[in-house]
Amino acid sequence: MNTKIFAFAGKGGVGKTSLSAAFIRILSEAFPEKKILAVDADPAVGLSTALQMQPVLTLDNIRLQIAENIDKGQTTEAIELLSEAKFHLLDSIVEKDNISFLAIGRPEAAGCYCKVNAYLKQVIEMLCENYDFVVIDGEAGIEQINRRVMENITYLVLVSDGSKKGVQVISTIKDVADKLTTYEKSGVIFNRTRSAFDSDSVSGIPPVLSVIGDDDNQAENDMQGESVFKLSFDSPLYLGAKKALFSLLEES
Amino acid sequence: MKIFADVTKKIMSLLPETADKSVVYCDELCAESGDKNAILFRSDTAYELGGSGKPSVSSIVFTDLPSAGDEVVLYGPDLSQISQDIPFAHITFVSLKQKNDEELTYEQLKNIGFTAFQIYPKGYHIRISPSASKEQVRVAKSVTETAEPLSFMNVGCSLIHAFKENRDVESVRTVFITKKDFDYRELSLLAQKVKKITDAVHSTLQLDELDCASCKMKPICDEVDGLRELHFKKEKEKN
Repeated sequence: MNTKIFAFAGKGGVGKTSLSAAFIRILSEAFPEKKILAVDADPAVGLSTALQMQPVLTLDNIRLQIAENIDKGQTTEAIELLSEAKFHLLDSIVEKDNISFLAIGRPEAAGCYCKVNAYLKQVIEMLCENYDFVVIDGEAGIEQINRRVMENITYLVLVSDGSKKGVQVISTIKDVADKLTTYEKSGVIFNRTRSAFDSDSVSGIPPVLSVIGDDDNQAENDMQGESVFKLSFDSPLYLGAKKALFSLLEES
Repeated sequence: MKIFADVTKKIMSLLPETADKSVVYCDELCAESGDKNAILFRSDTAYELGGSGKPSVSSIVFTDLPSAGDEVVLYGPDLSQISQDIPFAHITFVSLKQKNDEELTYEQLKNIGFTAFQIYPKGYHIRISPSASKEQVRVAKSVTETAEPLSFMNVGCSLIHAFKENRDVESVRTVFITKKDFDYRELSLLAQKVKKITDAVHSTLQLDELDCASCKMKPICDEVDGLRELHFKKEKEKN
């Protein structure tokens, strides 16, 4: 399967989760026969609320379970670890219509899980092969790119508000991504702003995909903790996300 | 194999007297292979064996019982007769060509055991937790709701086929249990014991400890006949 992976990144509080959720909704409406995997890679686990899909287990829960078994001295060969990771992964996926949801969770224990992480990463890659589209809602900043969590992606979607700080953050993320990841295309969505930042003032900013202003509809939705599927079709967030999504898909 | 003799006997004694179905292995019965990375979505799943918190047990037992040939045995309803998540157990008895524990290596046991992780029948998504000795299977609607539905006999033959590719394997008897009135709890405890013994083979061979009183493996060596002898024999060979 030729899986297309969208990874969202940007400074905190610019609306990455709402935009990721909107992308997922639009993909599921536009391609009802396609399979979509939504990955909540933000420790705040906000995508779960936006999609109204509650995970029973997060990837971090699985990581802890496997690491505990290793600590108990159980012999664990590579193939066993892989099988163990695959076993639990299926329990951590929530499915609704053509959307599957997976939450990474937040590390709640100190320690080195490099060995376990390597197998989990392998399993996630295998998992992605089963989907037409994967949308990753990344955590704020560049950590996940630094840790190579988002290593092979198709579209790097950078989100910023109108602030200079927001633009500087996406410029840094783009810089790190260029060095550490492979992606086919990148673009910027300016959210909660009236106009795109003067991108000439900061170097290395990818093309602007859409500019989304204040959205009362979305703000109300957020306050009520409602699903993105309740957002009206004429909401600025929905329209802006749709424009950005199709401009990425059409150009590839 | 002496070290597994006691647990094998106990597992055998749990099995019902009469099987609901059995076949002698033949290549033609093997299930069609699917993609090894494919997952079966819930929407495409008819039911899950061992799913919804129902008991599930998995074990590979190495035995020195006289070989009865390669066989697939089923206790309970077959795949096409099941309509919802049910308890499930899958035990495979593997008879090795070399019968002496002394000739046995941990790597041999492990490598043969790993065969179970490497079969991918189409529409039959197996997932195994080695640490919990559990096996759960999502069965696709596409293989149950058809004129020629998939059977445990097909899956079992695929597994035996994979085992037979290992030159140390003499014969394989693979047993599926889907009966409602079966002691899955007891079988699960025995499966955990099989795992402990396999792990203990590894640990005893790694240990340089010669004083049983202070050795951490003492409890399992006290319980399993032949394990202590195996350790001292290997130790002697090292020196």
